[in-house]
Amino acid sequence: MAEYTLLIILFAPFLGALGLIFVSNRQVSLVRGIAAGSAFVSLAASVYLFYAYDSVKGGYQFIQRIEWSRQLGISLHLGVDGIGTPLVLASGILLFAGIFVSWHIKDRMKEFYIWILILAAATIGVFMSLDLFFLYFFYEMSVIPMYLLLGMWGSHTKKYLEMTDPEGLKQRDSVGFIFNFGANSKEYAAMKLVLFLSAFAVAALMGILLIYKFSGLNTFDILILREKAHFSGPLATLIWLLIFFGFASIAPIWPLHSWSPVGHAAAPAATSMLHAGVLMKLGHFSIIRVAFEILPETTRELMPSAAVLCIFSIIYGGLVAYYAKDTKYVIGYSSSSHMGYVFLGMAALDYISLSGAVIYMFAHAMATGMLFAMAGWVYDQTHTRDIPSLGGLSNRMPFISAAFVIGCMASIGMPGTVNFIAEVMIIVGSWNKYPFQVVVAVLGIVLTMAYLFKMMRGLFYGSMAEKYSHSHDAVAVVDRMPLLIMITVSISFGIFPGHLYSVVRSGVDPLIARITKVVPVAELPMNSPQASSHTMPVPVPGEAIAKVTSR
Amino acid sequence: MTFSLTLSASDLLLLLPELFLTLWLCVVLAVDFSFKRIVQEQLAYLTILGVIITLACLAWFDMTGITGTLFGKMFVVDRMAIFFKVMILLATILVILLSIDYVHRFSLFRGEYYFLVAMSALGMMFMASANDLLSLFVTLEFATFGFYVLVSYLRDDMASNEAGLKFFILGVFAAGLLAYGISLVYGETGKLVFSDMSGANPTTGLVIGFLLIFAALGFKIGAVPFHSWIPDTYHGAPTPVTAFLSIAPKVAAFAILLRLFLVALATFKPAWALLIVAASILSMTYGNIVAIAQRNIKRLLAYSGIAQVGNVLIGLAAGTKMGTDSILFYLLTYLFANLGAFAVIMAISNSVGSDEIDDYRGLNRRSPFLAFAMLIFLLSLAGVPPLAGFIGKLYIFVAAIKEGLYILITVGLVNIVVSMYYYLIVVKKMYINEPLDSSPIKTTGPLRAVIYVGLAGTLVIGIYPQPFLDWAVAATLMFSNLIGPAASLTPPVTPFGG
Repeated sequence: MAEYTLLIILFAPFLGALGLIFVSNRQVSLVRGIAAGSAFVSLAASVYLFYAYDSVKGGYQFIQRIEWSRQLGISLHLGVDGIGTPLVLASGILLFAGIFVSWHIKDRMKEFYIWILILAAATIGVFMSLDLFFLYFFYEMSVIPMYLLLGMWGSHTKKYLEMTDPEGLKQRDSVGFIFNFGANSKEYAAMKLVLFLSAFAVAALMGILLIYKFSGLNTFDILILREKAHFSGPLATLIWLLIFFGFASIAPIWPLHSWSPVGHAAAPAATSMLHAGVLMKLGHFSIIRVAFEILPETTRELMPSAAVLCIFSIIYGGLVAYYAKDTKYVIGYSSSSHMGYVFLGMAALDYISLSGAVIYMFAHAMATGMLFAMAGWVYDQTHTRDIPSLGGLSNRMPFISAAFVIGCMASIGMPGTVNFIAEVMIIVGSWNKYPFQVVVAVLGIVLTMAYLFKMMRGLFYGSMAEKYSHSHDAVAVVDRMPLLIMITVSISFGIFPGHLYSVVRSGVDPLIARITKVVPVAELPMNSPQASSHTMPVPVPGEAIAKVTSR
Repeated sequence: MTFSLTLSASDLLLLLPELFLTLWLCVVLAVDFSFKRIVQEQLAYLTILGVIITLACLAWFDMTGITGTLFGKMFVVDRMAIFFKVMILLATILVILLSIDYVHRFSLFRGEYYFLVAMSALGMMFMASANDLLSLFVTLEFATFGFYVLVSYLRDDMASNEAGLKFFILGVFAAGLLAYGISLVYGETGKLVFSDMSGANPTTGLVIGFLLIFAALGFKIGAVPFHSWIPDTYHGAPTPVTAFLSIAPKVAAFAILLRLFLVALATFKPAWALLIVAASILSMTYGNIVAIAQRNIKRLLAYSGIAQVGNVLIGLAAGTKMGTDSILFYLLTYLFANLGAFAVIMAISNSVGSDEIDDYRGLNRRSPFLAFAMLIFLLSLAGVPPLAGFIGKLYIFVAAIKEGLYILITVGLVNIVVSMYYYLIVVKKMYINEPLDSSPIKTTGPLRAVIYVGLAGTLVIGIYPQPFLDWAVAATLMFSNLIGPAASLTPPVTPFGG
């Protein structure tokens, strides 16, 4: 049973979606039951996966390999390492929480759950793919559900509603050119998201095809390519750039970020949660899985330039978030700002900082998931996301406002939440290499405090407008549970990060060792095939640190 | 050149599917004439029965490996011909199912309609087996002949008449080019059979001759710059005929193109590869960009079809065994998605009475099933995983990148994104916009059957393509000698040949 864990995690949501097709929309409790049930199966299996993953042994575990196409050299090759495992867990948690956050959706609930299950399953598929083809397959598969989720259950932004005349048809519906939708409509957001992501995804696909051709191995298998394929010179640079920017667009790194906040603002709460929580991490993860694994030398040469971009991500995202007036824009830009920290952690190519980056992805998934869930709740109650017009909601929603404070604390990185550990690791790990960026990153934390406190005050404190006096708090168990789950996870890993750290570390160590060609400092698993097969004899720890940092 | 007109029993066996279908057509016609009271639906199912028996016969050929040539190599039965014939007959069955409700719109000659559809299918089966220039000309004209009538079958509809006229004039023009090209090629080489020409010298006359033949075939597949008839003809023709026209003649013409370029012109590959690359880039780009501006779903699919042909030509430009496999596979995926999409179009047009994209508003509320099916078909055409179209596109790109066609692949990839836009516009209408009239849409049995077949094909091939890939690979074993430079690096573990 245990060896099928990955298949259960991956296919439970797919089967749930398939089952929902045959259920009528009128059987509300059955629809909810199937969605929640399949998400629960997936979550339970991913919790099992997280604790059953052997961090001493390291490497890829729970491997499944099913021949898929002989002619093309594709197999459904699944496996997780220390980097994929926490992300699979985060997807499982957010999917389960997302099902409950959207518990009260009235319009076409069945379809909503179908698409959200497919979206989550596809992202989970990316996190466990060991085959370039399937990595792309699941990656691209996660984009289309986003289109429908945004378009069907999303909301226009405030400006759009003001702009549109009562008839509104001329502005909204034209087959013509893309911008005819009106730049604040949900259609525009959905279309922009899909076209943006697809355009960069095909760049990544070109990189994958070039890897396929020039490896000469006729296989898409990452484990084989990693051992046997060698790329150098301009070709390696080209492939690396295609892969990096192809996947960094979803991350989203600074000049390629514009689709993301627009998408967040238009999306329903559960979709925003999955979007910010896990979909954006597909970018970092795919860069780690493809560029870091297959092109280690090029990564060493080119990754420093990504460190330059992450400054812009952090500062630009933070400043826009500070001046934004729409709750979801604030959280959306804060997400794209925070993703800059992950890039910083990745760019330093250091054991500590990359581990920090991976933990940050996990931590950010929880924190942003909470914030989006609560922004969604506030929007459902007040039908506005405009911060200046809101205020004083803590009287009406004590639970939500308390949870919101915790979410903001987690997002800022208060000690006691897992975000704190991740931030400290990123900052400490990359200090030697990029002191300037680290200073910027620390300033970014201050900026994060500024805009999150500003939003918190704007929403929950101060005086409340009369028209919101009928808004309700989250009282029912199904409404509180998703928030409580995310808060519990965030805080418990913040206090007991041991297992999370050792799992992540077991994935990061061989990777960084490969890239920097130095054996990891601490807790080198002697029996790990990954670590021992392509590294030098074990040096004294101090020497290793010196090598890592002085490279 | 000599060939005996006496047919032995084994020769007759090779011709069995075509002979049977010919006889069956006579039966269909006779039944239509003799029984005044026959309901046209029964006639449709009678035709389908004949086509299914023919398919079974072809399946038997494929499984037992019955192959051979006839009439001094004019007519060849190999596994590739069988693959193409199966696709053509599959399309025929689906198109006849599509027609059952539509035929009521014809004022006259309802019975002959099925006869003409099946007759065109017969012509295209011969096309798939054509192996020399004479049979190329004869079969091509035979196949097109039926379509000239079918396109203008709506006698009272001006658009249909216009479509028929346009198709006829340009078709006859293409036939003229073809005949002239054939005469030039024959004059230069003295050979008619494709496989005998491979050693010919590239004289000017020969080059012009082949260019003319390519132009005529380009007209059939609707590649730019020979596409001008496509939008108006697709728009005006009766929708089931459009559906038939959008897949079957392209499939048959690709059979001939493969034999022509990879057998007769194998030695001139560097020269014609450029020609194909140019046609491919033009078709993809033009088709996708113009499709953005379409407001009629049939015209949209017409332009998207031009772009799809551009995609298929990438596989031809690769010019390898793998390129051929990818063409066969891609056409198979295209068949299911495209005919499925036309089935949805007909279901909507039956109850809404229009093919405008604006009338697809809120289809998800009016008929979730139709909207879902259309979503799947359009996304498959766009090439989104896990649908068949994605695997088809990827297979073509892999075949092309092995030959180093980087620019072509880049254009193809960019075009995927462009095409996604207009497919998603239709999805937006169906899913996001609210319906103007929210009465539910009913679908009839035959249309439903076609949609189910299309869905099954699109999803099954997308999720588990291995048997279909194996079938395509086995069908093109005759091209095993066409191994490109990159392919020779193949380790023995993953053979191309399958």
